[in-house]
Amino acid sequence: MQEPTFLIMTALAAGAQHGYGIMADVMRISDGRVRLRAGTLYAALDRLKADGLVTSDRDEIVDGRLRRYYRITDEGAEQLAAEVRRMRANAAAAALRLGLAGGTA
Amino acid sequence: MTAGEASGGCDRHSRLRLEYRQHRLEKRYRRLLALYPQDHRREHAEEMVGVLLASAAADARHRADTPATRVLQAGQHAADCSDLIAGACRIRSRMLLNRIRKSRWFSSTVRDPRWSDALAVVSVVAPLLLLVAALAEFGIPQVAAGGLTGHPSWALDNLRYSWDLPLTIGAPTVAILACLRLRRTAGIAALATGISRIVVGAASAVGGVASPAIALTILLAGTASAALLLSPGPARGMALLTRRGITLVAVGAVVLGGFSVGNNMLLGYALIRSPGYTAFHSEVAGLPADLLIAFVLAIVAVACLRTAVSRRVLVLLAIPVIPYVILWQEKLASDLVGPLGAASTLIPSSAALLYLPPLILACIIVAGTRLARHRASGRARQATIPASSAGPPGAVRA
Repeated sequence: MQEPTFLIMTALAAGAQHGYGIMADVMRISDGRVRLRAGTLYAALDRLKADGLVTSDRDEIVDGRLRRYYRITDEGAEQLAAEVRRMRANAAAAALRLGLAGGTA
Repeated sequence: MTAGEASGGCDRHSRLRLEYRQHRLEKRYRRLLALYPQDHRREHAEEMVGVLLASAAADARHRADTPATRVLQAGQHAADCSDLIAGACRIRSRMLLNRIRKSRWFSSTVRDPRWSDALAVVSVVAPLLLLVAALAEFGIPQVAAGGLTGHPSWALDNLRYSWDLPLTIGAPTVAILACLRLRRTAGIAALATGISRIVVGAASAVGGVASPAIALTILLAGTASAALLLSPGPARGMALLTRRGITLVAVGAVVLGGFSVGNNMLLGYALIRSPGYTAFHSEVAGLPADLLIAFVLAIVAVACLRTAVSRRVLVLLAIPVIPYVILWQEKLASDLVGPLGAASTLIPSSAALLYLPPLILACIIVAGTRLARHRASGRARQATIPASSAGPPGAVRA
């Protein structure tokens, strides 16, 4: 799973969000390191929707503009959890080899 | 004018300027969104415009309106625009790939199971024959034969011809990909090899020479490509091939290699290079190859004609083999009447003679299968119509 995809799914794991909310949340989660732009976000959402990992939740009109909310599906949550386990195992192995604190794998 | 009126006018002015900027931005974004597929635009365009404008407004809010920040904002806007273009490219390429994956010609195989099975067998045989043909082109079987018989005149020297490089690379690539069961990639590689050989063939045809050897490799690559792309592939082909079938394939490959040995002998390459070479040597060396070819082709034909699938395999393999037979008649003709080293004096090979018969055969196969399918569906319709329109006993039909 690529980092932007991982961060988008992480943003949606806490609850349904609209496009701009996801972008802001990704910035927050990555501590300002990853700044998603609309083209990347909607290309990723399009793919995640096609794969059944994310789905549209509801539509709202705010200041005359459409705001669509997205939420993660059960399958998406499972895939994200699997990715977290994989990353955690890799990080633990790396920490162990580097002799860093917390490397207990 | 009071201070309050002045500040109200200033607010209104800045609000109007902001609205104007937003309007211009929106127009630009909408122009870029036209790059996206229509379905995607219908689904996401409005919310994307909203997100882009909200993002631009947030950028503007966080920065004071100075020339430096305006440059920064222009940079952000350019980054947003290039990201939109990249996003459109990603979505369009994904859609294209999905369409190719789902299209019938790429994802499914020929409907008639007998033709499908025959193509699967050919998808094993044709890449192998293409590999042997490539080896023969570079004189490798000739060198092996020279090593076995002690004949001095066969040498590995064709590698110097750079125009044969597509075949040098293409034939082993197709064979390896077919072995790895990557049938679609192998099919595309075979197609690329065939096209590169057409370029080589065209170059030699311009020089007035229609080479049967080039025609053989072009048609072999084309047949291999069709078989790999339109059949379930080598996995199914191997499952269908019996021990006898595998033996026949191996023998066919040996014959092709063997033929190239005899061909080189009797078309005179060896004669030119070998000072002590005589007609007697060539006849002695060429005769076993001729007999072997005649014998094996007859056996293969008889063995293949026994079942419906093998008959179809034989018809499909006839497409690349036709120029091979023409090459053989040339060789035989030069054996019988022509001087050694000369081309056939009976039937000179030409582009029409080499390519038209295989193309006509391929057209007959396609037309024949379509006609058979049409007839079968017509028969099926006729069988269902009386049953459904029979009506109750005694009913009168108009």
